[in-house]
Amino acid sequence: MAILTGAGRGIGKGIATTLAERGYDLVITSRTREDLEGTRRLVEEAGGSATVVVADLKDPSTPSLLLNTALDRYGRLDGLVNNAAVNFFAPFWTQLEINLDETIATNLTAPFFLCQAAANYWVDNGLAGAIVNISSAEDTIAYPEQVPYACSKGGLLSMTKVLALEWGPLGIRVNAVSPGSVDTEMTPDVYRQEAPKLMPIGRLGRPEDIGACVFFLLSDDAAFVTGTALYADGGYMLQ
Amino acid sequence: MSGKLSGKNAIVTGAASGIGKATAMRLAADGANTFCVDRDGAGLAKVVDILGAGHVGFAADLSNASSCKEVIGAALKHWDNRIHILVNAAAILIREPTLSHSKQAWDLTFDVNLKAPFLLSRDVVASMIEAEIRGAIVNVASVEAVLPGRGHVAYTASKGAITMLTRSAAFETAPYGIRVNAVSPGVIATAMNADLRKDPESWSEMLAGTPMGRHGQPEEIAAVIAFLASDDPSFVTGAIVTADGGWTLH
Repeated sequence: MAILTGAGRGIGKGIATTLAERGYDLVITSRTREDLEGTRRLVEEAGGSATVVVADLKDPSTPSLLLNTALDRYGRLDGLVNNAAVNFFAPFWTQLEINLDETIATNLTAPFFLCQAAANYWVDNGLAGAIVNISSAEDTIAYPEQVPYACSKGGLLSMTKVLALEWGPLGIRVNAVSPGSVDTEMTPDVYRQEAPKLMPIGRLGRPEDIGACVFFLLSDDAAFVTGTALYADGGYMLQ
Repeated sequence: MSGKLSGKNAIVTGAASGIGKATAMRLAADGANTFCVDRDGAGLAKVVDILGAGHVGFAADLSNASSCKEVIGAALKHWDNRIHILVNAAAILIREPTLSHSKQAWDLTFDVNLKAPFLLSRDVVASMIEAEIRGAIVNVASVEAVLPGRGHVAYTASKGAITMLTRSAAFETAPYGIRVNAVSPGVIATAMNADLRKDPESWSEMLAGTPMGRHGQPEEIAAVIAFLASDDPSFVTGAIVTADGGWTLH
């Protein structure tokens, strides 16, 4: 049973489907009920159960809301997947202060306090747990006109490492998946056209590709893996 | 004064102590005019007094976004819109256990360690593009971004964030001839760890992880910053220069 943020669209929807196919029940959250209901249907078609929570991750009460929903509905929590993220595109010297604020709040602060809430639950109850943070190839390489996003992902990667270091002895593993370009409803057509040239693997990623990496890192197959980032980018960063 | 930074105008944040102070002294010794910023007005006055004529102190709390704006406005006015160098050295470290790390500590850490460098760099870059200055920005990151320390999760995350601020800003400003780099210090003797140094046992335990067997001095980081701020590394941008006595080698 896992909590998944940003579950209404894109990579989040793919993670939800993949986890459901492989036996997970989910608490899924985003800001848009309609999107979440669509994901819930996909999860149920895949044989799983999903509980929808419409919430703003910037609200400090959201972590406990999600945790309590998981415990009330399923009586347990095995994993947390921090996937929700925002990105504001603009040349660096024209980026607004609010762009940085919103990006850090959603992409970094919210994941931290969700990690903290989950870890406190696991520690208080003597349980083990696993966390996967969805980072980005941009935690390491630069793309144009996305400075706030890059900051948030660099911070998320370092946060993943420090949490893994501190919580390793407590039986909590913390890892990241860093996707490259993934084909979602938000992907511009030009990316799809250029993909065979740009990506060593010859195509964009699929949300399910990311879901498979998340499943692995949540599972006991990754029992000795913590504090790492798994780059799922079709080889893009090799160039 | 002659030197390899002769005639350059440099803003240095966190200039009242530690790495920031050593950097202001070093840039000045290399010939730069400095605009020193710190929230500690008294400490800042002493530094500026030592630096002497041609150097300015500007007391400001960088956790406040409007103060960042004031800093850049004042420096641009002082130097007739010509800023050549910005060193983002101001940072705070709040030790709180991770399982109970407060929102307040997290937010304050990010305001000082990430948001201020973001706002200052953004506005300095805009002024450099406007004035066609091929300037240099140097950020102070930390080896903790890659080899995390316990008990200061917000600090560690903020240093990971400034690493990518450096690389993504470098990527975008490179076509304008502006270079953005960072130095990533290991264990340096500053006010940030003064309390730890009072306990010789835990301090020597900490230094045991450093192949050089000693902590670094702020001046050793300032030397790296002075290099990155100068025209010598003219093909270097987006680099994270580790200066840690070998700490992250193993």
